Amino acid sequence: MNNVQVEQKSYEMPPREGITIAHFLTVADIERSLRFYETVFGSRILSSGDEKGAPGYIQIANTWLIVNVGGGPTPDKPAVTLSVPPDPNKVSSFMNIRVADIQACYDLWRSRGAEFITEPKDKYGETRCYIRDPDGYIIEVGQSKPNFTYG
Amino acid sequence: MDNVQVEQKSYEMPPREGFTVAHFLTVADVDRSARFYETIFGGRILTRGNSSGAPAFIQIANTWLILYFGGGPTPDKPLVTLSVPADPDKVSSFMNIRVADIRACYEVWRSRGATFITEPMEKVGETCCYLRDPDGYLIEVGQSKPGFTYG
Repeated sequence: MNNVQVEQKSYEMPPREGITIAHFLTVADIERSLRFYETVFGSRILSSGDEKGAPGYIQIANTWLIVNVGGGPTPDKPAVTLSVPPDPNKVSSFMNIRVADIQACYDLWRSRGAEFITEPKDKYGETRCYIRDPDGYIIEVGQSKPNFTYG
Repeated sequence: MDNVQVEQKSYEMPPREGFTVAHFLTVADVDRSARFYETIFGGRILTRGNSSGAPAFIQIANTWLILYFGGGPTPDKPLVTLSVPADPDKVSSFMNIRVADIRACYEVWRSRGATFITEPMEKVGETCCYLRDPDGYLIEVGQSKPGFTYG
């Protein structure tokens, strides 16, 4: 990369210094997930993975999604099993997309095939709705109201 | 300044145009989690939230963490319940921190109180280790090997 910033830091993947944060999703079908995130959000597929275990990489806005199939424990996490969400209604963490114009995103992303749980709804401090991805992961889409910087 | 730069494009929270991707975690204790991400990774606490329903926001590298308590269904997701990880060994998605120097990150973050599951281990394409956050969320730390851009 050939750029200079003052009081601003640039991030790349993989990082040549410091850290860059991505979001890992266990998926049933790498190709299907790549297509979904590319089509709906206009993200960029950097790698489609391979059968030797390399994951798919997608750049989406300021971050990266890493998608791979599930599997049993590995030496670096001997008690952990990775699987797609067993119950998509029991959720602990999720991708949260903050938007400037929620109605426009709702209309555009729906026209590209995204399935929203409901239309955008007014809440304290924000307007919000949710998408399900092909594995059932919820994706929050939210727009903060004026005067609620972090609504 | 509340923005990050990725490949010449700048992202801010909340976005004034387009969208910015964050990562939501359901936590048992917002302050404890905010302190953890601040102390270990040098995250910047933008707001600690409040009891009226505003979550905490932490800027960490190229992304933002949004932290809040769990809860029952809401009108915009009428079937979904949010809770801290019920079984931290059954995982579907997680934060994946890609680093330039895994040994340095392992040493510094450990000295700041992070509990790693194992030391960094060699795998195909990357060197990798995992830590747990205060709610038991799994966090991957990985460094791609030369020649494996997306290892």
